[in-house]
Amino acid sequence: MLCNRKVHRSVAFERFVLVALLAVFGFERTFAALPPAAEWIPKNAVISLEVSNPKALLDMLTGKEATAAVTALPAYKSLMSSAQSQELLTMIGFIEGTLGTDWRTGLAKLTGGGITIAICPEEIFLLIIDAEDEVMLGSIHELFLNIARNDGRGEELASIEGVTAWTFNGKEAHTIIGKRFVLASSAEGLKKVLDLRDKGVGENLTSKASYQAARQAAGPDSAATAFADLSLLKYVPEFSALLEESGGNPLSALAFAGIVEALRESSWLGLGLDVEQSSLVLRASVDGKAGGSSSSAGFALPKKAGQGVLPNLSVPRRLAAISLHRDLHEFYAAKDDLFPERTSGLIFFENMMGIFFSGRDLTSEVLSQAKPEIRLVLAEQEYDAAIGTPQVKLPAFAIIFCLKDAEEFDIVAEEAWQKAVGLINFTRGQQAMPGLIIDRPTQGETRFTVAYFSAVDVEDKSKLEQRFNFRPSVAMPGDYLIFSSSDGLARDLVDALDREMKSSHEALAGTHSALEIDAEQVASILEANRMTLVRGNMVKKGRTQAESEAGIDLMITLIKLAKQLKLSAGTGKDLTQAKLELSLNF
Amino acid sequence: MDSCFRRNDKYCFRNRNYMSSAILQKPLRIIVMAQQTSKRPVKATDPAWAWAAYKPSDSAPWNLARAGHLYRRAGFGANWGELQQALSDGPQRTIDKLLKPKIDPASFNRELDQYESSASVDGLRAWWLRRMIQTPHPLLEKMTLFWHSHFAADAAKVKSARLMQQNVQLLRSQALGSLRTMLEGIWCDPAMLLSAAADTNRKARPNENFAKSLFEVFTVGPGGYTERDVREASRAFTGWFVLRSRLRYIEREHDDGAKQIFGRQGKFKGDDVVRVVLEQPATAQRLVRKLYRFFISETEEPDARVLAAPAESFAKDYDIPKLVGTVLRSNLFFSPAAYRRRIKSPVEFSLGIIKGLEETVSTTQLAKDLSKLGQNLYHPPTIHGWSGGRHWLNSSTMAARSNLALALLQGSGPYGAKLNPWLITQKYGASTVESAARFLVELFLQADPEGVVYRTLLKSAQSPADAKPQDRLRRFAHSVTTVAEFNLA
Repeated sequence: MLCNRKVHRSVAFERFVLVALLAVFGFERTFAALPPAAEWIPKNAVISLEVSNPKALLDMLTGKEATAAVTALPAYKSLMSSAQSQELLTMIGFIEGTLGTDWRTGLAKLTGGGITIAICPEEIFLLIIDAEDEVMLGSIHELFLNIARNDGRGEELASIEGVTAWTFNGKEAHTIIGKRFVLASSAEGLKKVLDLRDKGVGENLTSKASYQAARQAAGPDSAATAFADLSLLKYVPEFSALLEESGGNPLSALAFAGIVEALRESSWLGLGLDVEQSSLVLRASVDGKAGGSSSSAGFALPKKAGQGVLPNLSVPRRLAAISLHRDLHEFYAAKDDLFPERTSGLIFFENMMGIFFSGRDLTSEVLSQAKPEIRLVLAEQEYDAAIGTPQVKLPAFAIIFCLKDAEEFDIVAEEAWQKAVGLINFTRGQQAMPGLIIDRPTQGETRFTVAYFSAVDVEDKSKLEQRFNFRPSVAMPGDYLIFSSSDGLARDLVDALDREMKSSHEALAGTHSALEIDAEQVASILEANRMTLVRGNMVKKGRTQAESEAGIDLMITLIKLAKQLKLSAGTGKDLTQAKLELSLNF
Repeated sequence: MDSCFRRNDKYCFRNRNYMSSAILQKPLRIIVMAQQTSKRPVKATDPAWAWAAYKPSDSAPWNLARAGHLYRRAGFGANWGELQQALSDGPQRTIDKLLKPKIDPASFNRELDQYESSASVDGLRAWWLRRMIQTPHPLLEKMTLFWHSHFAADAAKVKSARLMQQNVQLLRSQALGSLRTMLEGIWCDPAMLLSAAADTNRKARPNENFAKSLFEVFTVGPGGYTERDVREASRAFTGWFVLRSRLRYIEREHDDGAKQIFGRQGKFKGDDVVRVVLEQPATAQRLVRKLYRFFISETEEPDARVLAAPAESFAKDYDIPKLVGTVLRSNLFFSPAAYRRRIKSPVEFSLGIIKGLEETVSTTQLAKDLSKLGQNLYHPPTIHGWSGGRHWLNSSTMAARSNLALALLQGSGPYGAKLNPWLITQKYGASTVESAARFLVELFLQADPEGVVYRTLLKSAQSPADAKPQDRLRRFAHSVTTVAEFNLA
């Protein structure tokens, strides 16, 4: 038996364990005596989260494969060897002994009916947990209450709405009704919940039309759903400022077009989380749509049925890829309305472009040549040993446009690009720095242009300067125009586009933005730059080399747990929707 | 513990009514404190007494104040362990260790050189600050910083982190070495030549920029040379170029004719110019005067008679550690004429806090913050380096100093909670907030403030009463660093 002194000393850990227990788990509903927990949530809740099928999440996150993956991590082993971790394990062992079961089973039984969390006005936080095992719920509550009492904080409160209530810390208030554990951030909050037991359906969250719509959009059968009342959240200054901010910057307006506008127009947000094999899939929906002739995001929206982004391009060593549906001509033509305060900067930009494009009008003679399909690719580089390897290995990046009249515009783009290289060379020459050498190699049937720095007179080719990461290239396979930071990526993209042109590929209808991140490749490039990252971390955080190495290694290991992340956003019939899919390596 | 510098000194500046200047604006008050002179002791102007080795006595005891003074000048401040060790070792042994530490810094410096090898200029700034914090040879870094301001090469003009790293490595290699060797390296250092706009020097049109800097700034100083000396010396440097970040010598561009510099005639080349300029007494006099400002006092112009002996000695061999050793061991260095007579540079101010609290913080952030205070490492403002002294202080930089101290000590933000005054005070036995506060005053100020300031300072540690001890100590430590004395070295 654990002595009282030990228990007292471990209070902080016990609270942590309690929070962890309450936050992570759940099981299916097994009883019908009580109404759904959402019916006990006040109608004015701003945010609610319902984990209605936690077993699926629990199985994935604490199952054998996940446990094996996490416990194999060097960082986990290091963490578990600490005194604090040992104390935590002792505490878990103690709880297991008290409940007479292992922690996974205990967790499952304690939360079997689901978890519901809500945030209401006046800083009221609510937590409702439906247990499967009433006796076990009572036991663990008694355990924590005793610990809190030993700490001088836990006590029984005056009866609320005829129900016995307690507090663990003198601030929150909670009660147990049958298999249901109800906690509120204050006694007043608990009273509001208990009031709802006797009132009609019209007073609770489930009677709210926006909640019903959000639940429906999120998927009623999802393992977990969330609802946010955006019409109320917009009164929060930070949230409202966030929505306004992205409008002022042309690049962020271009990248996030359609998403921010939809949020501005929406009154609710619905989220649904599902477990599909070894992936977590999160679907988000809002009722607002960025569209219509007056919309500032019109340039990002597919105009006709069946239109949307092209599938992301796949190349070797790919780190990330983005596919966007953006009409650059329409976007830039509306610049004075979209960014009136940036006019002088944009005029300067336009004048510069006039130099590169030999006086052509940027809007009507240059940007109008590009179709709305824009793709970007980021990839880890392979270095030619004969040339050398940079000490800091930067990823290569490329942007791919689809041209309306490639035959006419290819030469214009080539000329502009060569002018840019010439300008760079002239500027570097003025500073007595080496310039770029232009070459015209071939990839398949595509002749392309690459500019590179010569490393002939560099003695140590194993630690080249950062500039050797860049071999800017322009390639024009078919109707496509590729601007790439390296010839290696340009070659891979020529091959990828060649494959795409030979196969049938369709646009993702209704989708205006699609992002893919390949986590394993991200881990690979981080490993390739490990020492650079460690050194940077040492002076940035003031850490020792060992501490920095541990931190960087942990980050790389955690990234390795994920396989790929996909995010897409678009417009449906009545809603704007986004889907995030995280594939895990276990 | 006798922590007052002048507890037995008749020149104790506590006797001065400096508190009456509290009504002055703070920067002005600090400047006034640095400049305040009690009646100059006769002995201070007696060269024999001034440069004789200091021996502790009843009237000038070896105490915490003098140990703190030594570490502020010969390093970047000290932690409690170092101060106690200094008290135990006595002044001469402590100075021996500062000049030549028991732990050879070579392997530490090699490791840091390796870390710096791939850094940008911003990275170099961060690594140098980290080196200053962690070095087992603080006097070497202090002198490297001195020479960085003396041979001021600006990274913005050099545009190469690698060349800037080599430049500072050269300064470090001779910071406590030979001025002759240093100058022989400086005149052909690519970063120096680029920074002085002397990267091309053709026979047909000699570039006078470096020769002028060499005489005007690095050696004899204004009035010590003629225009002809500059013209002739620049001919000696012809043929040297920095091309594609490399030093090149092009024989055909060198003027091999006879030159006349400082009255000496010959077919001089670069090293010959260094030899000739080092033969000029004004070179040693100027360097000794500058080191006097750096180590002893920047508020009083020393009597020429006082500087004569060390200058004469320095001119014989240009042995820097010998000169620095003489200065640090001297009666003058430990006299009231030197005590708290320099305004701390931003580097000294911030590292004084960091070293006292025995941790390493984000030096990336620190480098950025120091540039706001006027000391942007690797970017001295002009070829004359940082002016220092009262130029460090104005209303804006004083506020910035307070903000930096707060950022370092508040336990959150960019520096995190790495500096924890409460932990340090506990480590050395303080168990209450009051005893911890007294400890911090000893550590950072050697209890120099007294009377109203001291009482007010200690009282501030008691509030807010409901705050945790470590939070109260953080606030208190910040208060300590904003006291005028802490801004004086």
